[in-house]
Amino acid sequence: MNDPKDPLLLDHEADGIRELDNNLPTWWVWLFYMTIIFAGIYLGYYHVLKAGDLQDAAFQKEWQVGEALKSAALQKFEGQLGSLAPSQDKAVLAQGQKTFTTLCSPCHRADGGGLVGPNLCDDYWIHGSNYADNVKTILNGVPEKGMITWKSILKPNEIQAVASYIYTLRGTHPVNPKPPENQVQPTKPSIFE
Amino acid sequence: MNPPDATKTTSARPRPTGVIESFAYDNRIVRAFAIATVIWAIVGMSAGLLAAIQLFFPEANLNLQFVTFGRLRPLHTNAVIFAFIGNGMFMGVYYSLQRLCKARMFSDALSWINFWGWNAIIVAAAITLPLGITTSKEYAELEWPIDIAIALIWVAFTINLLGTIVKRREKHIYVAIWFYIATALTVAVLHIVNSLEVPATMWKSYSIYAGVQDALVQWWYGHNAVAFFLTTPFLGLMYYFLPKAADRPVFSYRLSIIHFWALIFVYIWAGPHHLLFTALPDWAQSLGMVFSLMLIAPSWGGMLNGLLTLRGAWDKVRQDPMLKFMVVAVTAYGMATLEGPMLAIKSVNSLSHYTDWTIAHVHTGALGWNGFITFSMLYYLIPRLYQTKLWSVKLANYHFWIALLGMMFYVVPMYASGITQGLMWKQFTADGFLQYPNFLETVLQIVPMHRLRAVGGSLYIFGTLLMAFNLWKTAGIGVFLPDQAAQAASWRTQQEHHEDKGPWGHRALEGKPMLLAVLALVAVLIGGIIEIVPMFLIKENVPTIASVKPYTALEVLGRDIYIREGCLGCHSQMVRPFRSETERYGEYSKAGEFVYDHPFLWGSKRTGPDLHRVGGKYPDAWHYNHMDDPRSVSPGSIMPRYPWLLTQTLETNSLPARIGALRKVGVPYPAGYENTALAELQTQAAKVVTNLKVGSVTTTPDKDIVALIAYLQRLGIDIKANPAATPATPTKTAQAGGQPIATN
Repeated sequence: MNDPKDPLLLDHEADGIRELDNNLPTWWVWLFYMTIIFAGIYLGYYHVLKAGDLQDAAFQKEWQVGEALKSAALQKFEGQLGSLAPSQDKAVLAQGQKTFTTLCSPCHRADGGGLVGPNLCDDYWIHGSNYADNVKTILNGVPEKGMITWKSILKPNEIQAVASYIYTLRGTHPVNPKPPENQVQPTKPSIFE
Repeated sequence: MNPPDATKTTSARPRPTGVIESFAYDNRIVRAFAIATVIWAIVGMSAGLLAAIQLFFPEANLNLQFVTFGRLRPLHTNAVIFAFIGNGMFMGVYYSLQRLCKARMFSDALSWINFWGWNAIIVAAAITLPLGITTSKEYAELEWPIDIAIALIWVAFTINLLGTIVKRREKHIYVAIWFYIATALTVAVLHIVNSLEVPATMWKSYSIYAGVQDALVQWWYGHNAVAFFLTTPFLGLMYYFLPKAADRPVFSYRLSIIHFWALIFVYIWAGPHHLLFTALPDWAQSLGMVFSLMLIAPSWGGMLNGLLTLRGAWDKVRQDPMLKFMVVAVTAYGMATLEGPMLAIKSVNSLSHYTDWTIAHVHTGALGWNGFITFSMLYYLIPRLYQTKLWSVKLANYHFWIALLGMMFYVVPMYASGITQGLMWKQFTADGFLQYPNFLETVLQIVPMHRLRAVGGSLYIFGTLLMAFNLWKTAGIGVFLPDQAAQAASWRTQQEHHEDKGPWGHRALEGKPMLLAVLALVAVLIGGIIEIVPMFLIKENVPTIASVKPYTALEVLGRDIYIREGCLGCHSQMVRPFRSETERYGEYSKAGEFVYDHPFLWGSKRTGPDLHRVGGKYPDAWHYNHMDDPRSVSPGSIMPRYPWLLTQTLETNSLPARIGALRKVGVPYPAGYENTALAELQTQAAKVVTNLKVGSVTTTPDKDIVALIAYLQRLGIDIKANPAATPATPTKTAQAGGQPIATN
């Protein structure tokens, strides 16, 4: 198939392989030039003129925008805490149960009987027995004891849902529950009880 | 560029006038590498399939620690890259080099040392990796004794290659050989520099580099292993086998020259694109990105020269399965080398990195480019070595379509999976909360894609089995030709005839291969030196953090267990500076936090969540229960169980040696720490056991799990003790909150 009359055929060969003297495709050459020019512009803009945001600066901006939204939503939620009542809505409770199973049960057991974290079914509450106290504990966590600060993870409505579900666990009697921690007296029933 | 020279001579070169010498090409060594290629193809791909199945069915590890994902993945990558593709590369190089040089290999002894040495290394890998003997550095996992063996065998190959070139009977070396030379020299440099480590025991060493520096060196290596092990030698092989099979002249000699030099020079710089948005300094990241973009044209130069060589020969592509495989290989190469630079754009990378998108990308390269070109060579070589025709062209065509289908079923679901999960990780609600704060939710979404991927992989392996059968039958109907007689005169005895120096004087350079080798080495060293040296010399590239302290003895052993089990195959330790990550994991990772990390463990994939801020996040008992059975605490999790960690006794005899080796690589343990380390370890282990008791878990302090928990609880907490780096808000909320530190 090597056409010996092809004017572009070079006179050398290697194990029978010949080569043509075709020029570089123009678009290919321009593609190469464009990427080189882009590289110059990019490095010049970000690292010589220092005109653009590098990753730390870009993060600070992104963080401030997002955090403003989030803290506004949280403030609104925390403002309503006093008047908050546990939901009776079946859909909300189902959502709360789902959250409880995936996120809370590792420490509090699926039936709320307590494992690493305390029993949630008895009347011995460590950080306040009110429903609002429960919500606050979930929101802010008790980091020194291993309870996570959930407000960075769960949205307000999810915290409301899971707290409502936990409220339904009160007074149930799981098998082999975790005994009360450092509390001789049961805490008084909450205002809802 | 210059227009083609119209006066170029088209007359055939003058007939050689020197003494005709008779010699024989060594086909035995080619056959040996071919057999090894096929065997390792099946082994390596099967390991990959088993790993893929474990990603939707964790029990597929049969509860054996040796084939659990973390240890299996490096076995798969090593077997495919170095065993299957490596043997395939040697097969093609040993065949083509002899013919292009018109000379038998320089030394038969070196050829066989190369073959048996290389395959013994692979067997050693297949034994040590399942045992958890690993450095954890990707594609460089093998421990120091094997590293030394690799260096020696590679030197044997390089001597054999250069020796054959020296005794060649063809004055000018063809483009394929330029690529072979660049491969041999660069891989040697990459391997040796990245593998510098201080042994602690026979099978355990610590990288001499730490943290950011280790990451940069590792990905300079990792990226260029792709470049100089999976790309340049195979471009060389394409330049031989494609025009041979198509019987067409190569499209453009000038393009060969330009894209060869541009490719090897530019490639080296692109390594940092594996570390975008990490603690690597911005300037290095930007170099990685822009050089990746500059790689598009040089890479496509190879694809163009391959595809355009087929002009006028497409009828042959229809008939010859070997050419079909070659066309898909070259096309896949073109797609992968466009996609790679796209993924190296910072904004794209912020979505794609750590997801299955990367897995899709590398498999376009591995299955499409390397796999198909290797199959192509096998279909070309076996009939020629056995002086017969392929046993069944029809079966080879079946192989082609099944492999292509398998590749599609692999790659497409991985794209879908990667983009889906990447978007889910970044999704915020209107109120500024993470839409999917629970990592597991994003995993469950992509499990169906993992199932499809396993179907694709199975098809691909089935095609490979068809090929093995076809080649076996072909060998059966033919007669093997061990030594193929050939005749040529030494170029040194040939009369000098007038020749032009070629474009840019390159033709003259092709007559001086050792000069070409030196220039190629210089070209590849420049990028590496400019990126790596400042990282060691300029202090502000890694700002120190006073509160970051070396790991305790127990944590060192826990970290070594983390390495042994291959945890970094699925978990990164690098929180990137995005709010979607600081909300999920905590404060983003700083360069100064990794100064005692020999090796770095940033990882490259998040099949599970990032672990850099996991310290203090869960109680010790949670980790205990989670390692025993992840699904007991995270229903639906695809993490394997690690029950052996609960029962195996922690090996402490080598502790002094490990401490000593770490001190040698620069961790400032006080003098004599070896003597007190064990007592300190026991104190800390007892504390862990006490913590576990609080969580209703009873164990003894001498178990692997205790060390691992100690290490996990240490991760990413040192920075919180740093007054300068503590956020203005109380530290309690900072734990999971992740407010940015004030930049100083």
